Amino acid sequence: MSQPETLGLQLARRGISRRSFLKFCTAMASAMALPPAMAAQMADALAKAHRQSVIWLSFQECTGCTESLTRSHNPSLESLIFDFISLDYHHTLQAASGEAAEHAREAAMAANAGNYIVVVDGSVPLKDDGVYSTIAGITNLQMLKDTVKDAAAVVSVGTCAAFGGIPKAKPNPTGAVAISEIVTDKPVINVSGCPPIPVVITGVLSHVLTFGSIPELDHLGRPLAFFGETIHDRCYRRPFYDRGLFAKAFDDEGARKGWCLFELGCKGPTTYNACATVKWNDGTSFPIESGHGCLGCSEPDFWDGGGFYKALSQGNWGTAEGIAAAAVAGAAIGTGAAMMSRKRQQSMVQEHGESEGGTLK
Amino acid sequence: MTLLEFARGPGLQWSLVILAVGMMWRLVGILALKHKPDFSEPRAGGGAMFAGAVKTVFTRMVYAKPFRTQTTLASLLSYVFHIGLAIVVFGFGPHILFIRDLTGLSWPNLPSGMIYLTGVITLGALVALLIRRMTHPVLRLLSNFDDYFSWLVTVLPIATGLLAVAHLGARYETLLGLHILSVELLLVWLPFGKLGHAFLVFVSRATTGAVFARRGAAT
Amino acid sequence: MSTADINEKHPLDLDQARVSIKKPETRSDIQGDLTDQERVDTAMRNFVKDFGAVAATYMEACVHCGHCAEACHFYVQTQDPKYTPIWKLEPFKQAYKREAGPFAWFYRALNLKRKVTTRELEAWQELIYDSCTMCGRCSLICPMGIDIATLVGLARHGMFQAGLVPHELWAVAERAEREGSPLGATADVFEDRVEWMGDEHEVEMNIDLDQADVMVTLSSIEIQKYPKSMADLAKVMNHMGLSWTFRTDGYEATNFGMLSGNSAWQRDMSMKIIDAAIKIGAKTVILPECGHAYGALRWQGANVYGKPLPFRVRHISEFLAEAAREGKLKLKKVDKSVTFHDPCQVSRRGGATQAPRDVISALGLEMRETQDHGDYNWCCGGGGGVITIHRADPIRYKAFEIKMRQIDEIEADLMVTSCANCRQNFDDSQQHFQWDRKMESLLELVADNLIEDPA
Repeated sequence: MSQPETLGLQLARRGISRRSFLKFCTAMASAMALPPAMAAQMADALAKAHRQSVIWLSFQECTGCTESLTRSHNPSLESLIFDFISLDYHHTLQAASGEAAEHAREAAMAANAGNYIVVVDGSVPLKDDGVYSTIAGITNLQMLKDTVKDAAAVVSVGTCAAFGGIPKAKPNPTGAVAISEIVTDKPVINVSGCPPIPVVITGVLSHVLTFGSIPELDHLGRPLAFFGETIHDRCYRRPFYDRGLFAKAFDDEGARKGWCLFELGCKGPTTYNACATVKWNDGTSFPIESGHGCLGCSEPDFWDGGGFYKALSQGNWGTAEGIAAAAVAGAAIGTGAAMMSRKRQQSMVQEHGESEGGTLK
Repeated sequence: MTLLEFARGPGLQWSLVILAVGMMWRLVGILALKHKPDFSEPRAGGGAMFAGAVKTVFTRMVYAKPFRTQTTLASLLSYVFHIGLAIVVFGFGPHILFIRDLTGLSWPNLPSGMIYLTGVITLGALVALLIRRMTHPVLRLLSNFDDYFSWLVTVLPIATGLLAVAHLGARYETLLGLHILSVELLLVWLPFGKLGHAFLVFVSRATTGAVFARRGAAT
Repeated sequence: MSTADINEKHPLDLDQARVSIKKPETRSDIQGDLTDQERVDTAMRNFVKDFGAVAATYMEACVHCGHCAEACHFYVQTQDPKYTPIWKLEPFKQAYKREAGPFAWFYRALNLKRKVTTRELEAWQELIYDSCTMCGRCSLICPMGIDIATLVGLARHGMFQAGLVPHELWAVAERAEREGSPLGATADVFEDRVEWMGDEHEVEMNIDLDQADVMVTLSSIEIQKYPKSMADLAKVMNHMGLSWTFRTDGYEATNFGMLSGNSAWQRDMSMKIIDAAIKIGAKTVILPECGHAYGALRWQGANVYGKPLPFRVRHISEFLAEAAREGKLKLKKVDKSVTFHDPCQVSRRGGATQAPRDVISALGLEMRETQDHGDYNWCCGGGGGVITIHRADPIRYKAFEIKMRQIDEIEADLMVTSCANCRQNFDDSQQHFQWDRKMESLLELVADNLIEDPA
């Protein structure tokens, strides 16, 4: 299927100029926080690279991640990535279906054994033998295990694949888990987000193609180049936080003036993602810019964080009744302790016959 | 469950429960001891005793004139850190949200920059008081585990809070988690050590105020 | 022991400026023959057995700020941290936490507060007795409002029962319980001296009347050392034309039971006065120029009795102020300046701070207050039984230096007080320092300046 033709030749054949290719590489290098000189090196490396075989598996997901990647503006730099990879299986995008589709996957696996990359979106249900999600009668778990066996690396795209996401949210009826919980013997790169930023997916694949290695990851397996800083730290509303100027409601004066949304539940301070710098829709804006706090979608268990509109500094402290009950219990124990002390005092007086006498209280 | 989730959830719940149980236990455990009637002829009666009790709660906030020269430094430092703590706890936007969540009460916040500065000054005052405690012969003699541990649990929330806003030392969510946990440690320790004076100070001052007002003596 | 036995073992020394027992050649500061363990247990038990909510609140509220030290004359003058008032209660704090505090069970079960040892208590004897006059100045500085003086009083209960009272204080307390006076002023001695003073000062004395409106009491120090007080009291009472009497069955107002820490003796001593006053139908009992007598009867008497007393209790300075206010005293004006030394138990702890000032103003004297005066007056250093203890002389003198300094500063013609114990401490310290000032009695000043009606 994939020809031993280099990417450079292929791009030239398709009439893509070196200028626009360099522009792509510069954008990638910048997004990944590489030094500017790296752009030319990256262009050289990519030009010499062969098309990478990629198998894209979709499990318990909403297709939002694919939408994010494909619905970008046109002509897009991100779309160029499809020129670099051979997307050998993607059941949403490919023309083939049913048996034919599965054959394509098996064929790609056989042809590129040990070299292909598996991209996964969606989580894997484990409960009840994984019956909650099957493709062609094969459970997600089985398909993942089979496909990953000969893969070079796995990229978990989207929060469902990376951390379990919404399927895993309480009460997690399908027993959904993240890909990294199943794939433990291969490198897994988590590109989280609901959906993830398209350029991050592109960037990660470019990195793998350029350097033949996986990028530096944080403790949650996310590429540090994109997930190294919080939304809060790079937020254009940060000066308002520092000055203590907070919007108290979505329609108040503060909201109109663009003050910090912390009090309205913004999760920016604990959310690591590149939204505030890369932005969405061709760099148009990101959620905070359109007036809504960050949901923290690129963090594990963001759906169970106590509510999107509950400020970070608020606790999940239970109920006032619980505290009142504790206070009553405390008072009861205190009374008991005092009665015990009184009894001890009484017995001290009786046993030893010393007069209670004095009246110092 | 992450550190932050634990701190915001079960950690907070349990620390509040322990605070409530412990403080009531201690207060009731004291107040339910014997109360002896005082049969002596009062110089000033019931109303004056009540007034004396209330008055003393306030008057003992400032040292009486004859004692001021010897107590100025320490009381100044104590004032700085008590007021500093109050400003930080009740003036910082995120803290007000925390309190609103617990009590339903809310008020306007102060500029965050002022809070940070106050935090640093408060920390400084506490460090100065620790140095005083470790060097003054009287304080060295009196001090025990409670004194140093109570100091620590008071300092930790300020220190971790400052680190969290400065994003120093660890990731923000970790720092925030530690910050909330340090506050929970304070709440848990409060009823059992000398920090209990937050409640006992009123009982103790009012008691003396009433007893001495009854005698017509200075309170 | 017979009386002769006390006289032999602990002979009184009445010829000195300070009256106490003679300086013991060998001290016996430990009484009875309890084992170490029994001693500790007894001390702790008797400390906590009277504990109520008030004392417990005090025990719990301390934040170890150490400022009480700055209010204590013994600390201020020596800079020795062991004299920090709250430190004087350290072993008792531990006892409280183990035995009566809200978390006592934990402390006992987990052995968090180790038990105090006898050696520690012996060491603490000096802090509980020699270096605490229970003047309560520390109670006023405490930012938590802890009345430390009250707690020292409770600690003395434990110390007495454990047999850990300083030699002299124990001896005078024991003598007081047995003879009715700590300083040998037995009823017979008292009667003799009343008669003597009546003759000497040509004043009509009333003693042992069956009925009287006013019963007048005295302190042994006055009877033995300042007997003119008896004449002065009689003069004032006669001047006012009152129905009054001394009673040989209720004359001794000092209460060494209270000072030493024996609550049973405290009761015995107070009940003598109470019973006598009730017997003669007194409406008022006058307490003499004595500090702790005021605390003992005015504020604790009714509680010893178990119900309100059927008579008023007034310190002589209050009584004089009241009489002056009501125009019952006709006084000559004295064209001099004066300063007043407030007896701690009457002013600071008794609430009668204004009374002596009213009397001074009625005498037309120019009042010059010392730097710290009234409720914040420095204790003379001899109260709480400290003056009886020879061992405590050095720190007592040290503490007295504050008084000399502050009184010298204001250069008043006279200095007066209304406590015979303060007065004897001033006399003794005056002699020790060869100071050129003499402490006088407020009562005496009034008695000497009465305008006797010639008609």
